[in-house]
Amino acid sequence: MARTTTSSRKTFNTVLAWSIGLLIFFPILWTILTSFKSEGQAIADPPLFFFFDWTLENYIAVQERSDYFKFLTNSLIIAGGSTLLGTLIAIPAAWSMAFVPSRRTKDILLWMLSTKMLPAVGVLYPIYLVFIELGLLDTRTGLVIVLMLINMPIIVWMLYTYFREIPSEILEAARMDGASLRSEILYVLTPMAIPGIASTILLNFILAWNEAFWTLNLTAAKAAPLTAFIASYSSPEGLFYAKLSAASTMAIAPILVLGWFSQKQLVRGLTFGAVK
Amino acid sequence: MSSQRRPSGSLERLLPKIVLAPTTLAMVVCMYGFIVWTGALSFTKSRMLPQWDFTGFDQYERLFNNPRWDVALSNLAIFGVLFIAISLVLGLALAIFLDQKIRGEGAIRTIYLYPMAVSFVVTGTAWKWILNPGLGLEKLVRDMGFTDFEFRWLVEQDMAIYTIVIAAVWQSSGFVMAMFLAGLRGIDDSLIKAAQIDGASPTQAYWHVILPILRPAFFSAIVILSHIAIKSFDLVQALTGGGPGYSSDLPANFMYTFAFNRAQMGVGAASAMIMLFGVLAILVPYLYSELRGSNRD
Repeated sequence: MARTTTSSRKTFNTVLAWSIGLLIFFPILWTILTSFKSEGQAIADPPLFFFFDWTLENYIAVQERSDYFKFLTNSLIIAGGSTLLGTLIAIPAAWSMAFVPSRRTKDILLWMLSTKMLPAVGVLYPIYLVFIELGLLDTRTGLVIVLMLINMPIIVWMLYTYFREIPSEILEAARMDGASLRSEILYVLTPMAIPGIASTILLNFILAWNEAFWTLNLTAAKAAPLTAFIASYSSPEGLFYAKLSAASTMAIAPILVLGWFSQKQLVRGLTFGAVK
Repeated sequence: MSSQRRPSGSLERLLPKIVLAPTTLAMVVCMYGFIVWTGALSFTKSRMLPQWDFTGFDQYERLFNNPRWDVALSNLAIFGVLFIAISLVLGLALAIFLDQKIRGEGAIRTIYLYPMAVSFVVTGTAWKWILNPGLGLEKLVRDMGFTDFEFRWLVEQDMAIYTIVIAAVWQSSGFVMAMFLAGLRGIDDSLIKAAQIDGASPTQAYWHVILPILRPAFFSAIVILSHIAIKSFDLVQALTGGGPGYSSDLPANFMYTFAFNRAQMGVGAASAMIMLFGVLAILVPYLYSELRGSNRD
């Protein structure tokens, strides 16, 4: 319903929109800028915007002092592992609900989604106790399982909405031509669903990457991902703005870059499919 | 017919159920089973580790006698109401605004959504700087000549929770914007024209024609925002750590503290159950209306 406007009005709107955008982006921009300052410049008065001595010392310090790459590896394994595993399990389930619906499909979907809405604190103790029992506390395997379980409803829900957009006539046509179920899913459904699967994977990777509640509660030194690492770094109240910013920048950079190159999927994913 | 073509017809007919059942069962049984488990714990004397001496509602009594829990609950009320209201208003304003023709809309939309896409544990660093009286906003305005300007909410007991509101609004209004924008884009332009032909001003057109159509978007936004509010954990953890003192604690942070730092499993479980019922109070009407809606189509 984009409204028609005059061109000067359009310029004004565009400038205003980008100004608001800059305002919204400022905290992220500031983190990135600060990461290239020395500790002294980071708290300089008046604040330094672009004209300071750009330095990489914080990045080097963060790696040397606390082995940044260990946490990065943990983040990659935990977010990637839980997303891929979750998607693999969710695809057949979503396929089943989208193309072979039964009377109970909506109920099943709502029950699944309801588990995502319940607060994580409600299941923290049992998972914690089970993890102690199984020796999964502070392991990457444990976090992969928990995050997969926690995000599964969203994966199934998103895949379901994407699959629903694929006309079932196409699948029927393939079946008429004698395609087996396996080749129907593998060669007809999957190629058509790839954009949807990609959005789902992207969103879940982001969710798992950002996860703080479970990572803080279930990891200590060994399996801690970036979120836990940064949370621990910031506890001695704001003493190292520049180093903290460097660690933060490295933690958000993948998301910013990924998000920029897949804007459509990001928007659709973050709004749970409401925006197409 | 298909069973003639396929020898394994009955298997294929069962297959959809076979692939669906384990996922659903695992989800629902795990989550709801664990919740029952937590519920049971909340009626025991458990401290460091679970012990199964049931004590009735003792832990709930201790919970509600704890001043810290009172603070967390009233903080949740303040935070929830302000956060939801401001996010809705700002999000709607941004959506109406972005619905005009703008160059580079796709990029703008992504930038507006970035705060939601990056972890607050990470962006909290910048917010600490902005809200720090000696460094950020207060300093900036003072340097511009307004030497009496004060903005030290981060370090004031009564005001710290409002810094959480600011950060949460920053994080979510772009997201609300995107939801409303989707709703607006679905509205036919001719509706506005018709209203204007009938003599409605643009404001009137928005108020009386567009807003009612956006009702479903409002509804989902409110549900999503309120469940974000109840679950909020990382904002507090990253920005104030619950401080000064425990003045900016939210229930999830309360539980975190009591669960692990203080080894009070019973009290922690009780607080988890209270939060759970809070979410259910919002969720049940929503799911109910969703279910009713789906039966119609």
